This record gives sequence, structure tokens and C-alpha cells, in this order.
Amino acid sequence: MIDTFKSVIDALSTPTVSFTLLSIFTPLVFPPTDWFDKINRKFGIWRLWTKPGLYTGMGFITFFFVVGYFDPNFNITLTKPDNFPIILMIYSMFFFLWLGMSKAYVNDERIDKGLKPVEYNDPDDKVLVWPDLVYIEFISLILFMVFLIVWSILVAAPLEEPANPATTPNPSKAPWYFLGLQEMLVYFDPWLAGIVFPMFIIFGMMAIPYMDTNPKGDGYYSFKERRIGIFIFMYGWLILWLFLIVIGTFFRGPNWNFFGPFEYWDPHKVVPLNNVNLSEYFWVKMLNTGLPSNIMLRESLGFITVFAYMFMFPIFLAKTWFKDLFAKIGPVRYTSLMLFGLSMFSLPIKMYLRWFFNLKYIIAIPEWFFNI
Amino acid sequence: MAKNDKQKSLLERLGESQVWKSIIRSGVPKTRRQRMHAILGSVFLHLHPARLPKHAVKVGYTWCMGGLSFFLFIVLTITGILLMFYYRPTVEYAYTDIIDLTEQVPLGIMRELHRWGAHAMVLTVWLHMLRVFMTGSYKPPREFNWGVGVLLMTLTLFLSFTGYLLPWDQLAIWAVTVGTNMARAHPFIGHEGPGASLLAIGDINLVHMGSDVRFALLGGRFVGEATLLRFYVLHCIAVPFIAMIFMAVHFWRIRKDGGISGPL
Amino acid sequence: MSDEKITPAASVGESKTQSVNGNNTGRRGFFKWLTLGWIAFGAATGGFFTVMIRFLFPNVLFEPPQTFKIGFPENFARNAVDLRYKKSYNVWVVRDEESIFALSTVCTHLGCTPNWLQTEEKFKCPCHGSGFRMTGINFEGPAPRPLERYKVSISNDGQILVDKTKSFKWEKGEWENPESFLTV
Repeated sequence: MIDTFKSVIDALSTPTVSFTLLSIFTPLVFPPTDWFDKINRKFGIWRLWTKPGLYTGMGFITFFFVVGYFDPNFNITLTKPDNFPIILMIYSMFFFLWLGMSKAYVNDERIDKGLKPVEYNDPDDKVLVWPDLVYIEFISLILFMVFLIVWSILVAAPLEEPANPATTPNPSKAPWYFLGLQEMLVYFDPWLAGIVFPMFIIFGMMAIPYMDTNPKGDGYYSFKERRIGIFIFMYGWLILWLFLIVIGTFFRGPNWNFFGPFEYWDPHKVVPLNNVNLSEYFWVKMLNTGLPSNIMLRESLGFITVFAYMFMFPIFLAKTWFKDLFAKIGPVRYTSLMLFGLSMFSLPIKMYLRWFFNLKYIIAIPEWFFNI
Repeated sequence: MAKNDKQKSLLERLGESQVWKSIIRSGVPKTRRQRMHAILGSVFLHLHPARLPKHAVKVGYTWCMGGLSFFLFIVLTITGILLMFYYRPTVEYAYTDIIDLTEQVPLGIMRELHRWGAHAMVLTVWLHMLRVFMTGSYKPPREFNWGVGVLLMTLTLFLSFTGYLLPWDQLAIWAVTVGTNMARAHPFIGHEGPGASLLAIGDINLVHMGSDVRFALLGGRFVGEATLLRFYVLHCIAVPFIAMIFMAVHFWRIRKDGGISGPL
Repeated sequence: MSDEKITPAASVGESKTQSVNGNNTGRRGFFKWLTLGWIAFGAATGGFFTVMIRFLFPNVLFEPPQTFKIGFPENFARNAVDLRYKKSYNVWVVRDEESIFALSTVCTHLGCTPNWLQTEEKFKCPCHGSGFRMTGINFEGPAPRPLERYKVSISNDGQILVDKTKSFKWEKGEWENPESFLTV
């Protein structure tokens, strides 16, 4: 029974499967359109944001960790002191997401009925900061300090062997909050995954208030009024950041190979990773000629692909499906929305290209350190 | 008002003493007016307005995560200062000093508090961001403050990253090697980034291993003595200093943008 | 917003007085000082930032020597990777059928040190899974280009001399360079 559960989880957690499933689930859990909303209602996915949903979710996470604790292989990763924050993160993110979404659903219903959101109070009926807020702050920081001290007494801060520049530990992982970035580095060159994308994440996040022109849902939990915005944010936040951290922590083993959580970390696991560039696909496999010596000619197909994706595609969208959006938010907002949005979705696209076609680079110019 | 001296409680007498009144001018905050004075007269508490809408004090709405992040920043500052008494940022001593911290100092959980506190702060900052997003609190007039918040989150991560190197163990140098090698690939100013080879006079590359942004970060071509010192200074002084400036702006703007967000 | 369309009262008054006086020197002089002021400001900030950035680049580095001897060519077995100098100098010395060369142990992806897996005959990087053949050619994982080779030569006493200050990159065709290997 438990073994079946373990092998099912191992099979499900392969990135090809888990990432696909989660990508399909996200629009169902946070339905951005009426069509998705209908499916959400049909399968009762909204029940996740009710109390039974909370208990089920918490129960499943706990069951997973308890089974993992008694599994000799998962136990090693699970009980590493530095991985404790990840466990904390999984619990707290789920709980607070549930909290916010359940409040949002309550408010959505109230707004449908024409009522004000729960948070609304008479502006003249205010409370005093002293003592009403100050004591809450005081209690919460005392409780948090107690938690932190207990945590510090129970779990010693890890210290590995002294630094040795000649031996890289296998696997060698970045701090846990950067594992999303490290996962990105598998699919993109350092100049993109290490510099350009982090910049885009920072500037893209800072640009959110300017790109999201929807005035509704300001100052209270709500979902229906701003479902597209919430969907895009949640996909980036939950799947492309937090889930990649979970992959990096629990599913990446020696030689950065992929391992199911209950699988033994075999350092000699052989995974064929013969990656091929788009130019090689085109010139060698399709046309059966050698690679042209002219770099620009060699990579012309890659340049056309990237240009089409980043520049032609938004123009095409602006004329068709996003016509209303373009008219509403104007060219500057639209351009930045597309720049950040398409860059964000280029990560899953590149991941799938790598998994299914072993595609390494779309543009590969190692001579200039310019690989995409 | 004119109570008999004998009926007054100790607290009341204390509240009327010259010392107390010199500190909190309105006396013991008991009436509504005195309580508002207590907030307005305190340099620390006047981060808050004197009065708040009711929903703003509910933990269910705020999750208290912003406050906890600030609290953790203070905890980390204090524990960090204490750690600096024992720690020497050199390749020779760094690792052994860290071992000494746990073994030769009574109640030596200071490093644990610092490390787990740093992990916890990353989490509280992320949860704070999630709350602000889910309540739509980044919407006008709070766009600018959301941007400041994003920068503060980046600084939190950078503080954690620079702190990672200091124990000088295997985890430290390899996490930092990987991290700083990304800088090597910075377009134009990293020696293995796209466009770096364009910045050349004749045959001489201007951007090479000894003159790029990674060199400036490491203080050398490899992660070594100079790197440890640079990251130590960044971690203990430079980044907290910048973070404090942004924090001041962040808190100021919460007040100036109309206090905590709420439905209109 | 609409503020741009409103002319501030002060400037209206100013232009009025000037047209009355018929005297433009006040304004011209003002702009002269303004330009000078901006130049001074730019020079001061620019100068400060130059000094600040230059301060990050010391002239003297205390790093291990980049040129070293690794013994005689006979000490290296054919078709094998020599791991002896990995720890001290960060090089692998590889000898194939006809040549000896020194490979950099720095992964071209993000600079971790790969491990030589004898059974699979490849260098495998633990950080992101890049794999390199014995020659240093990359064939799997995210590494964008092969490992670099260092300059090798025979010193006067017959030992091999490795010079890490000069590296040879495959993608630039530099492995053809006779300095990048020793024929034995």
C-alpha cells in the first residue's frame, strides 16, 4: 500500500509529469475565464478553499512528510536542517493561500449580492492603536520569538566541512530561496537565468501596479473581480518560483539528475542528456548539410524564432485576441506586460523543448557568449 | 480628579511622578486622549497612526507578516552584532571561529537564532508580499510603496546570500561560487557575458577576468580571502545600511499613502 | 497631468519684467551659471563614482602562482586523466594517444568543479549536470562550451610547465595552437 503510494508519487514527481499537471491545475484552481470557472465549479475544485479543503490539503502534506520521514531515502533530504525552512514554507504558503482565498470567496459572494466586503467598516468608527494594535503586535512578536528560540535550541545550525576549492560537493545546491534560479539555470544560459531574468523578475514585480489597471479589489480579499491578474501572478509565484524550489530541494540529486523523493540517490544514475541546438536540428538533421560557417546565417532560424516570439507575437495578439486589452491599457503598458509576460512563459516553453526535443539553445553563439 | 492620596494605586502614583511625565507626557494612557498622545508622542510608536480602521488590527487581514519581517530584521541586527564579537573574516579563522561559537560560548544558540531567523525572514517577507498582492494593496495610491517593497525583498535575499559565505564551509563557497559566476555572464560588464568582447581597443579586451563586475564583487579572480572580507562588509554594513534607508521610506509611505489598505 | 499647460505665475512675471527692461543679460547669465553648475555637478558625481569603482579593483592580488611545474611527461599514463594537480592548481592533466594537455577544472557553465567519473569516462559537474568528454568537449547538460585548456610547455629541466595565465578556447579554434598541447 505504502509502496504503491511511494511509486505513484515518484512517477508523478518527474518534472515532465508534475510540472504539466500543475500547469494544467493552476488555471482550474485560479480560473481566469468563465470557461475555466465552469470546470472549476463542475469538479468542485473551489471546495479547496473551504474548511474541509484546508484539512484535506494539510492532511495530505502531513501524510506525505510522515511517509517520507520513515522512508530511508527521503528521510535523508527531509531531515537536513537546511531543508526545514522548505517544510515550513510548504505549510505556511498553503495555509496563507487558503486563508486569503477563502476570505476572497466570502467577499466575492457578498459583492455578488451587492454588499460591501467583510473588511469594510464605518470610517468614523476607528479603534485606537494603543492598546488595540500594539498588544497584538506585542503578542505576535513574543510568540514568534518563542518559536524561533525553540527552533534554535532543537536544530543546530548546519556547518559542513571546511571550504575546499578543489572538491565540489555532489549535488551542490544554492541557498534554498535561490533554488528556483538554479533550476532556471539548467534551461537557460547564465546571462539570461542569472542576470536578465532576475532583473525581469524584480522590474516585472515592480511594474505590476502600473500594468494592472483594474481598480477593483483594492484593500480587501477578492478573486472574481481580478481573476486574470491573480492567475498570472499565482502561476509565476507558485509554479515558476515555489515549485521550482521544491524540485531543487527534494527532487535534485547527485549530478543534478532528477530523482523521485523516495528514490535512492544513485550517483551513477545514467541519464542521456545529449542536447542539440536548433541550428543543428535545422542544418544537420533537416537539410543534411554541415553548419554554415557564417554565425548569423547559422543561427538565422533561431533569431527569427526569438524575434517572432518576442516581437511579432505581441503585435499579432494586439490585433486579435488582446484587441480590447490593447485598446484599454495603451501601447506602453501593453508592451511591458508582453515583455515581462512572454519572458515569464518562455521558461516553461524552454523546459518542454528541453524535455521533449533535447533542445539546448534556440540561438547558440558560444563564440560571443550569446545563447538563448 | 482630586482623589485622596491613599486611594491611588502605585501605578497611578508612578504615572504622576515627574520622571514618568518627563518620558510620557500624558501620564498613564488611560483615557482616549491619553492613549492617542502615547502613540503620537513616541518616536517609535508614531510609525502608526493614532487611530485605525477596525479591519486593520485583525490578524486575519494583515497576517502580521510585515511587522514580523521588521521584527526579524531587528533580531538579526542584534544577534549579528553579537556574532561579530567572535567572528574574524579570514580564511584562516572563519571556520574555526564558527565552531568556537557553539562550543566555547555559554548558551551558544546565537548563530542558530541568526541563521534560522534569516530563513524565517525570507519566509515572512514572501508571505507579506503574498498578502499585499491578494488584498490588492499595491493598487493606487500604493504603487510606489509596492516597488520599494520589491526592492526590500531583493535586499533581504541579497543579505541572506552574502551571509551564506561567512561560515567558510563547503556549502558557503560553492553557493557563492555559483552565485558570483552568474555575474561573470553579465552582458557587457562580465567577461563571459554577451557583448563583452565588443568592449575592446584593438586586440586588448577591456573586460577580462581581472576587470569585470565579478572581480569587483570577489576582490579577486577566485573566491578567496578578499571575497570573504568583501562579503563580510557587504553583509554587516553596506546592505543593512541600504535596507534601512528603504525601510524608512517604506514605513513612511505606508502612512503617507493613506495608512493600511482597506475597502473604500 | 494637466499641470504642464498651466504657466506658473512667477515665470509670467519674469518674462514681463524682462521685456519691459529690454534686457536679456539676466537670463543669459543665469543660463551660463546653470550650465556651469550642471557641468560641475556632473564632474563631481562622475569623478566620485569613477574613484569609487576604481577602488574595487586592487592593483596587487595575493593569489597562488599561475605558472607551475607538474613533473616529467613520462609520469603520465596514456589515455588517462591525472587528478593529482586538481586540488593544488585546479588543472587536470590529460594524456591521450599523441598529446598531453592541461584542462581547466572550472565548469564553463557556472564554475563548479566537475568530477571525473572513470567508469563513464566523462567529467560530470555536480551543480547543474553538465558533462564533458575526456578531451574537454561538452556533450550534455547546460554547459555552453568545452572546458578551457592552459598553455603547456617543456621547461629547461625537462618538466612540464603549465601557464594558467594563457588559456585556449575550443570554440575559437585555439586548440589547434601548438602551445595548447605537448606532443609526446
